[in-house]
Amino acid sequence: MTNIIDPIAEIDEARVADQDVVIGKSRIIFRRFMRNRTAVAGLFIFLALFLFSVFGGFLTSWDKDTIDPLNIGMPPSPDHLLGTTQAGIDLMALIVDGTRTSILIGLIVGGVSVLISAVYGCTMAFFGGKVDATMLFILEALIMMPAILVVAVATSGSGGLKDLPSWLLLIVVLLFFSWMGTARLVRSLSMSLMQRDYVKAAKYMGVPSRRIVWRHLVPNIGSLLVLDFTRGITGAVLAEVAFSFIGIGIKLPDVSLGVLIGQATGQVSSFPWMFWVPLTVMFLLTGSLAMMNDGLRDAFDPSSSSIGRAKRTKPQTAKVTN
Amino acid sequence: MSTNTTPAERLRDAGLYAPGDAVLSVRDLNVRFNSENGVVHAVRGVDFDLMPGKTLGIVGESGSGKSVTSMAVMGLLPETADISGSVRFKGKELLGLSDKAMCKHRGNDIAMVFQDPLSSLTPVYTVGNQIIEALTVHNPTMSKQAKEARAVDLLRMVGIPSPKDRLKAFPHEFSGGMRQRVMIAIAIANDPRVLIADEPTTALDVTIQAQVLEVLHTAQEETGAAVVMITHDLGVVAGMADDIMVMYAGKPVETGTVEDIYYNPRMPYTLGLLGAVPRVDTATKQSLVPIEGTPPNLALPVTGCSFAARCPLVSDACLHGEPELIAVPGVEGQTLGHRAACIKSNELSNDADAHKIFHAPPKPVSKFDGVARVEREKVLELKDVKKHFPLLKGALIKRRIGTVKAVDGLSFDIREGECVSIVGESGCGKTTTLLEIMEFHPDQVGEVVIGGVSNKVATDHKTTMTMRKEMQMVFQDPTGALDPRFTVYEVLAEPLENLGMPKAAIKKRIMELMKLVGLQPDHVNRFPNQFSGGQRQRIGIARALAVNPKLVVLDEPVSALDVSVQAGVINLLDKLRAELGLSYLMVAHDLSVVRHISDRVAVMYLGKIVETGDVDDVFDNPRHPYTRALLSAIPVPDPNLERTRERIILQGDLPSPLDAPKGCNFATRCPVFAALPAAKQEKCLTLEPPLASEKDGAQDFACFFPDGEIDADMLVVHA
Repeated sequence: MTNIIDPIAEIDEARVADQDVVIGKSRIIFRRFMRNRTAVAGLFIFLALFLFSVFGGFLTSWDKDTIDPLNIGMPPSPDHLLGTTQAGIDLMALIVDGTRTSILIGLIVGGVSVLISAVYGCTMAFFGGKVDATMLFILEALIMMPAILVVAVATSGSGGLKDLPSWLLLIVVLLFFSWMGTARLVRSLSMSLMQRDYVKAAKYMGVPSRRIVWRHLVPNIGSLLVLDFTRGITGAVLAEVAFSFIGIGIKLPDVSLGVLIGQATGQVSSFPWMFWVPLTVMFLLTGSLAMMNDGLRDAFDPSSSSIGRAKRTKPQTAKVTN
Repeated sequence: MSTNTTPAERLRDAGLYAPGDAVLSVRDLNVRFNSENGVVHAVRGVDFDLMPGKTLGIVGESGSGKSVTSMAVMGLLPETADISGSVRFKGKELLGLSDKAMCKHRGNDIAMVFQDPLSSLTPVYTVGNQIIEALTVHNPTMSKQAKEARAVDLLRMVGIPSPKDRLKAFPHEFSGGMRQRVMIAIAIANDPRVLIADEPTTALDVTIQAQVLEVLHTAQEETGAAVVMITHDLGVVAGMADDIMVMYAGKPVETGTVEDIYYNPRMPYTLGLLGAVPRVDTATKQSLVPIEGTPPNLALPVTGCSFAARCPLVSDACLHGEPELIAVPGVEGQTLGHRAACIKSNELSNDADAHKIFHAPPKPVSKFDGVARVEREKVLELKDVKKHFPLLKGALIKRRIGTVKAVDGLSFDIREGECVSIVGESGCGKTTTLLEIMEFHPDQVGEVVIGGVSNKVATDHKTTMTMRKEMQMVFQDPTGALDPRFTVYEVLAEPLENLGMPKAAIKKRIMELMKLVGLQPDHVNRFPNQFSGGQRQRIGIARALAVNPKLVVLDEPVSALDVSVQAGVINLLDKLRAELGLSYLMVAHDLSVVRHISDRVAVMYLGKIVETGDVDDVFDNPRHPYTRALLSAIPVPDPNLERTRERIILQGDLPSPLDAPKGCNFATRCPVFAALPAAKQEKCLTLEPPLASEKDGAQDFACFFPDGEIDADMLVVHA
């Protein structure tokens, strides 16, 4: 029995048997997402940025290693659409490259950390007892570790890691510190799933534990993982920008949005375009993801108050008939 | 009697004839919601007048719009809902009032008691705080002392012991029944003229339900308020209500006095509903009346009678135009207020037999019915099974401060082809018993023997698997028991795959199963959410039967289902037991269902069986005072009987396991114990009564003073 009286759910319950009113869950999710204008806009902005970072090189004839000695520190002009740095490098080329690095870091860290946390969290919940306690202790220890120090040490080249490109190094370090929160979430969610009747039913049928986890648990935490993926991307992009800004993330010759913003802070008044352009791109990137995330949450949330396309089409003629 | 009236005319007529002194008068109330599937017309023209001091019962299945109606009256529906019509409180229109203006009426003129007492009180404020808050909102000038005194009065009125101290208690220190009493106290705090109770006892145990209904009764007497009682349980309203409104698909389909509805129903739906409820007071082993099908989809316009698709009396005329609610032509002694929305209400005479009209199946006969019980094989045997949970306290170092004896030395057996039910209040250990049986582990205390396999030898996977094949389980909540991401085929295939059955055989078996439980075989590719609750429970039953078990464990198999659907599932369980020679072990809190379906019954109290025997013996001649109280707490869907019969109202709740009584467990609440002289009470307090039968007694019971006199304080009769 439901605790809260939900009139709509009650009605839904009553007429589910009717064939024509049943809509697939994925279709409802898609519909709800598409109905959220902001989220759709976010999706388009993100896709545009992604395409820009991949094919943006064709918008300019320069690349990030070539110096234009005739245009050093020049504002935007037909030759250099976004201007040049004080070293005479085309800013457009730098932005394209930086955006690509940032998105790459975001996607990889977001995706892989979700995977790690799903596996780690499910394992904890499933085995329980001592395994759970030990794994939880490791997790807590990692949460308390000062990430910033580890990043600084790792990217400064000590420890024989100098051969790796700095973006790869940053990915590894960010991954190391990004999965714990979700893992705990997955753990508690799967623990509650383990209590569901259908998991009990499978147990009482004698279905082996591994199969229960794979067939009943993993699919049911899917929506959480999709949400966490987009959230993870935002987090990773922001972390990269922050670390690079204070100079311990991406190292030259690699460029990222954070590096570009960090370099330009000293000369905002003299070379404003060098500061504002990468900052705008970063805002577009994280902003679009945040917009998308909001829509995704609404779409996945079963208790969402999103009310079908039949949005108040009827004028209320007989409101009060006195 | 004109049948062709437009809604506008009806409204006008109703307005003209509406008695001026009604406290609450609802006219042509319509509520529409927007959903993914379009506009759902949840309430379609509800009219009623509520007279001061009277009780109106609104009865209907889930989705019939009864709760939505009450929420619309209270102005509590979400803003997305489109409400039209008229709701007048003492002649003043309430619909269209702003939220702020509504707040003046809510709690002051019209108050509400909600279904779930556990979530309707704020956990961080004391009970006294919450009552005083309700007083403060509507009486800003009242002094603090006056408010406190009033709060104590209110708590006393709803029967909470030592109300002064309890003011400072937090909701978690109260049991569910006590919290519902507090909710009622808050609702009547400002002497409302109308009290709306939305399924006020559905979440409670029967004994507590009886207490709370009693409190509602007193509250109504004290305040003189009119009560709207919303429920799906025809028994609950039978004794309380003056008038009944039966709702179906958002529309009232029959209204009238209690006697009209219960003894003289003129709408096939009402007739079916009354026949679908098993009776706790009769031993007739007759099938229940199933109402096939599901209510119409309210997102589509309703053409014709909304009940036509499920009505056995349907004819072409029913499909053209929805019948209006018109007065039933007068029979001798008929009240004028009896109205039904059926064009055939004339044909349904006073002695219409629901069983014949709805084609109730004959009572199935099992091949074991003729065999004496002792000659049948045992499929399950429990020997002194115990489950004790340690009660720990302390943050870092846990120390044991007590033991919860959830199951304390249980022994019983189940023979082939019989249904044994365990009944009792929540917390008595019935579900733990089931889990102990299902766990089937050698480390358990006590022995569980299933189909000849003992849990003491079940050390390897193979033995456990043989046992799992013998016994399967059906869960209470059909929605939770099916993985939402599995199709029906996958659900049913899971146990079969697990046995290593080849694919082709699985397919064949699944088709058989679908037919067996009365589902269309071509529905196997659908997902559980595409089925109604009753159909989902059928899928759950099919899954349990997949491996051909001998024993099926039923954990409250119908408590989550609507009355009309419940009858179909009970009939199915009955049929399967007879056809397949199954045995059932059932746990249920609904004693009428237990009486209908089972052969034997065991009454549990605090982890122990207090009375057991054949169901008719125990129900007709209960010996243990607890069984007597339990049985008397069940409301019967028969208004005359309900108004006159004696009821034993138990005081208090289950004792906490920490201070479990030393002698008889039940002594703290026992109505017989309370009436005993002190010398005899001593025996109950020191010795534990054994479970044994009298010389010529039919059942076993654990009481020193069976059939003892009941304490007068605990007996209630409504004359």
